[in-house]
Amino acid sequence: MSAFAREGGIYSLSLTIDEAHILINLVEQLLELLGEGDFHPHYDESDTFAHLMAQLRAASEEITVPEDPVLLRLLPNAYADPEAAADFRRFTEPTLRMKKKRILMEVRSALEVIVEGGEAGVVPDLNAENWLLAINDLRLALSVRLEINPESYELFEALSEDDPQKAIYAVYFWLGWLQGSLLTLLSGG
Amino acid sequence: MASDTLIESNIDISQLVDKPWTTVVWDDPVNLMNYVTFVFVKIFGFSEEHAHTLMMQVHTEGRAAVSTGSREEMERDVQRLHEHGLWATLQRSDKI
Repeated sequence: MSAFAREGGIYSLSLTIDEAHILINLVEQLLELLGEGDFHPHYDESDTFAHLMAQLRAASEEITVPEDPVLLRLLPNAYADPEAAADFRRFTEPTLRMKKKRILMEVRSALEVIVEGGEAGVVPDLNAENWLLAINDLRLALSVRLEINPESYELFEALSEDDPQKAIYAVYFWLGWLQGSLLTLLSGG
Repeated sequence: MASDTLIESNIDISQLVDKPWTTVVWDDPVNLMNYVTFVFVKIFGFSEEHAHTLMMQVHTEGRAAVSTGSREEMERDVQRLHEHGLWATLQRSDKI
């Protein structure tokens, strides 16, 4: 069973091989949705030059409100007014996308080590706040697909075991539990 | 009638001049309550207690004004909240 742990300010996560597979699949699907190709970027996306390039790319490409509801939840409108929202998006969305992708890529690299090892393993010395954000983005993405609402847990419990939706709900609620356990550690619990 | 409205209005004029824009966080059924509190403390440096109060306001009233300032400052706050997956918008303080 998976669990985050903290020892002397160092955070780690132990995962079964099945859990590692579930997580890396979700991370990769979200990366693809955010427009990440199946390559490993060899530049540091946080450096100034990469940042400038992203802005130049933004200036030359049409950036519009995402049609996919998952993307719209992860990259929401900042203004109720459509024109102001579009202006804001044009200037800020590439950076927001880049930051989310960078964190997901970091998580993906760590999970890849376990998946390639082929058995249960530990992610050692992880960046707890980045993992917190990544798990949150995965939960947000799943919540849109599952149309999560305050009654969803009761719905999940009522689903029969052979309902294909049941497994997806189970992953969603497991991620919530996982995130909660990390929050407890981060808050000194 | 017009003067009645003025007297009853809660608008603080100095607030409008100095802090004309407000960042609003909206409720959603996904973000964990202690996650929202954690994000408020991290981004704004609020005390745990103040962050908790604002989180509860979002949860029970559907939204809460979390910061006020210039348009540029509020755009930065909204951007940071979006980075953390919270649903945030900014609007003119006199439209709250």
